Amino acid sequence: MTELAHLEVEFRGGVPVVRIHGEVDISNAEAIASEIEAAVPNSSPGVVIDLTPTTYLDSSGVNLLFRLAERSQVRGQRLRLIVPADAVLRRVLEITGIQDVLTMETHLDEPLGDEEAVPAPGDS
Amino acid sequence: VETSTGSGAASWRRDAVRILVLGVAYASTAVVSLQLALVERNVTPLWPPTGIAVVAFLAWGSRIWPGVAVAAFFVNLPISTSPLAAAATAAGNTVAPLVAAAILRRVSFRMEIDRLRDAIAIVFAALASTLLSASIGAGTLVFSGAVPESGFPEAWAVWWTGDAMGVLVVTPFLLSLRTMRNVWPLPWSRRLEAVALFVILAVASVAVFRTALPIAFVVLPLVGWAAWRFQLIGAGPAGLVVVGIAVWSATVGLPAFREASLPQTMLTLQAFNATVAFTCLFLAALVAERVRAREALERAAGRLEEQVRERTMELSTANRELTREIADRKEAVEKLRQRERQLAEAQQMARLGSWEWVLPEDKVTWSDEMYLIHGYRPQEFPMTFDRAVGQVVKEDVPRIRANIETARGRGEAHNLPDIEYRITRTDGEERVLLGRARLELSENGEPIRMVGTVQDVTEGKQAEREHRIAETLQRSLLLKDLPDIPGVSLAARYVPATSDVEVGGDWYDVLELPGGQIAFAVGDVAGHGLQAASTMGQLRMAVRSYALEDPSPSAVLERLDRLMFRLGLSEMATVVFVVLDQASGTVRLANAGHPPPLLLQENGEVSFVEGSLAPPVGVSRIGDRVAETERALDVGATLLLFTDGLVERRDASLQDRLMLLKEEAATAGPEPEALCDHLLRSLVGDGADDDVALLALRRLSLADRPLDLRIPAEPQALAPVRRTMRRWLEGAGATTEEANDVLLAVGEACANVVQHAYGLRAGRLELRLAVSDGEVEVTVRDTGSWRSASETGGGRGMEIMRGLMDSVEMDNDSEGTVVRMRRRLGDGQPG
Repeated sequence: MTELAHLEVEFRGGVPVVRIHGEVDISNAEAIASEIEAAVPNSSPGVVIDLTPTTYLDSSGVNLLFRLAERSQVRGQRLRLIVPADAVLRRVLEITGIQDVLTMETHLDEPLGDEEAVPAPGDS
Repeated sequence: VETSTGSGAASWRRDAVRILVLGVAYASTAVVSLQLALVERNVTPLWPPTGIAVVAFLAWGSRIWPGVAVAAFFVNLPISTSPLAAAATAAGNTVAPLVAAAILRRVSFRMEIDRLRDAIAIVFAALASTLLSASIGAGTLVFSGAVPESGFPEAWAVWWTGDAMGVLVVTPFLLSLRTMRNVWPLPWSRRLEAVALFVILAVASVAVFRTALPIAFVVLPLVGWAAWRFQLIGAGPAGLVVVGIAVWSATVGLPAFREASLPQTMLTLQAFNATVAFTCLFLAALVAERVRAREALERAAGRLEEQVRERTMELSTANRELTREIADRKEAVEKLRQRERQLAEAQQMARLGSWEWVLPEDKVTWSDEMYLIHGYRPQEFPMTFDRAVGQVVKEDVPRIRANIETARGRGEAHNLPDIEYRITRTDGEERVLLGRARLELSENGEPIRMVGTVQDVTEGKQAEREHRIAETLQRSLLLKDLPDIPGVSLAARYVPATSDVEVGGDWYDVLELPGGQIAFAVGDVAGHGLQAASTMGQLRMAVRSYALEDPSPSAVLERLDRLMFRLGLSEMATVVFVVLDQASGTVRLANAGHPPPLLLQENGEVSFVEGSLAPPVGVSRIGDRVAETERALDVGATLLLFTDGLVERRDASLQDRLMLLKEEAATAGPEPEALCDHLLRSLVGDGADDDVALLALRRLSLADRPLDLRIPAEPQALAPVRRTMRRWLEGAGATTEEANDVLLAVGEACANVVQHAYGLRAGRLELRLAVSDGEVEVTVRDTGSWRSASETGGGRGMEIMRGLMDSVEMDNDSEGTVVRMRRRLGDGQPG
């Protein structure tokens, strides 16, 4: 994992919740994309990307989300994006029109399953 | 003997006068003498004119004989039977004194009659020359018939004795007058004695002839007195007086001669006269000779004495000079010895030997130190060139020989180039020597002599090498360029110690921490040289690592201390570690045995930051007891960190030096570069005893100046730039939201450059942020290839930039691409 960011993955009701801590820019966007892919099983009914602990997200991060949304749609997985209402990232996401391709929620309030959260393998 | 030296008329006139004087004198005395004649009228027992003539001829020369001849002719004319007889007699009278004078001249007669030989000469001359006048005169008397033939012997005897007496008595008398001139005036006592003597002599002479008793001889002691006491000047007159009185007595027939016949009278008289005359002459001459001898002896003695005195003086002068010379020489020798000793000491201290090589004789002389350098005892054996070269390491010999050959071939006196070479000493150790030499030529230009010095530079070479390595290592371990940190102005200096052994161990460091804080460290590893420099390198990196993990100053120092024990580093180090938080405008610091940092306020106030002080790291396991100190660092204020080399001096107390530092810092002011320069100049000067490290950091008002950054166009470079921009933007008055917007927009512009401008090439990008009239203006510039707006991040990058900024322009020119963006602050959302 890079110095700038690290991922935290937990499963809620069989749905992986991926929290992105830190900053996402061109130096680590690719690596984060690969890691998310590895953390999300094909059989999973959906995936939650939690940007609450994310402090920076540039166009490479936005592109990452667009690609993820595309893939989820192909797989029939539901992609949900958690972005707090006062988050600094919100404006970027709105500008780029991400809300057109996926659901943006302010917080994770809906229970997703009954499994306990476990750390994703390989994460620190 | 006087001879006429005149010439011409003057000479003639003088001779004529002399002839006249002589003639008159001769004639007048002759007339008087004839009154004393005993035979006829012309035979007298004393004939003074002959004596006068002899003196005249001796004194004036024989040329004046005519005076005698004429005078004699006229004297004899009246008493002769014919003019012929008178002429004959006159001829005899003239010849006799001429012969006498000739004889005397011949025997180098001295007219002072002060030698016995002069007395003998005058007696002989008188008796011999008058044989002629007597024979001619007596013969003439017989021939002219004035005397019968039978009377010849008697006439001849009277004539001869009379003439002879005239010479013997008158000549000494006249000469005595001449001598008198030389000794006059006599002392009064001598004159009195002379008068008494002559009165007694005259009275005695008359007295002895007035009695019939034959006691005439009693006057002889008186004559002897005169001769002895007065020599010629007494004897001459005495003889004349006594003889005169005797002749007069005989002539007038005083009782002593009254009863005698003529022949008896003549015999007695002439015997007496001769005795007196001889006594006078011989005694006077003898005494004179003795006196002269004594005088000569005295003079000689006097001269000798004088010479001895002079010689003694010379000797004593010479002796003094000699003594001084000896003392001088001794002093010179002593000085020479002292100088030799000093030279030897100096050579020993400098490990410098000197040598001389006289080329024609191949004679090499080494100083003591030369022998020592080569591992011998001083002057252990006589040195030769080959023996000296024998110790040089084989590879270096050709260089030395070539050096010397070149020098000898150059044909002029000159200094050879310095040469460094190695020798193997007798104990096997290799030493490095530095040789210097000079070649000297004889008058005809032949190389005659080389002199030189050799210095053992082995230690110097090692120390020099180590110093160089230590300094190189030291510098390589220090920060090459200070980071460009917005809001902070930085300056740092490292001055290595000038002395060979003191370099190494000091460091300074600046590090941007992930949270936007900035860490500063200055430290000093105890000890010097390579070891200290390498330990410094390790400690510096340890501080960096710990600071990145946990920037708490106390934690950093505690961990550093533990590390040193864990690694078994035997050194100790002093460190001060500072964290600057720009948001709060404070510094937090911890100090382990280091000199306190100096805080310079913009208003000129200067103070040391003297919080609690921990022991140096690596000494006593300080554990977790390191305290922290916090101070406000206002915009415009400067914090100065330094190592003890700046303030420690052997000749001044630390307290004084710290005071001086405060004063000089106040003078210099808070601008970091100027502050460092001024402090190094005023406190360190030309040479640093110890290493000196300085780090000055000043907090600046961010908005006061634009933010200029030049970074490599690499993905990893962007995150630190975002932190820098955030601080700058906050300092420039942007809200967190505004700052986020600008960061993101600029990030997009930079990412574009990184992804597309240079392809696979390395490149740079320039970033400039400035605030004017409440508006942030951003310029991002690259020198890469042109690209369209649609390429940027699949269009989303440009979209974001446009969405977050008030305006975005993109220009291409020959140098590359420029993106200009603007955003008004304080309006909330962009328009």
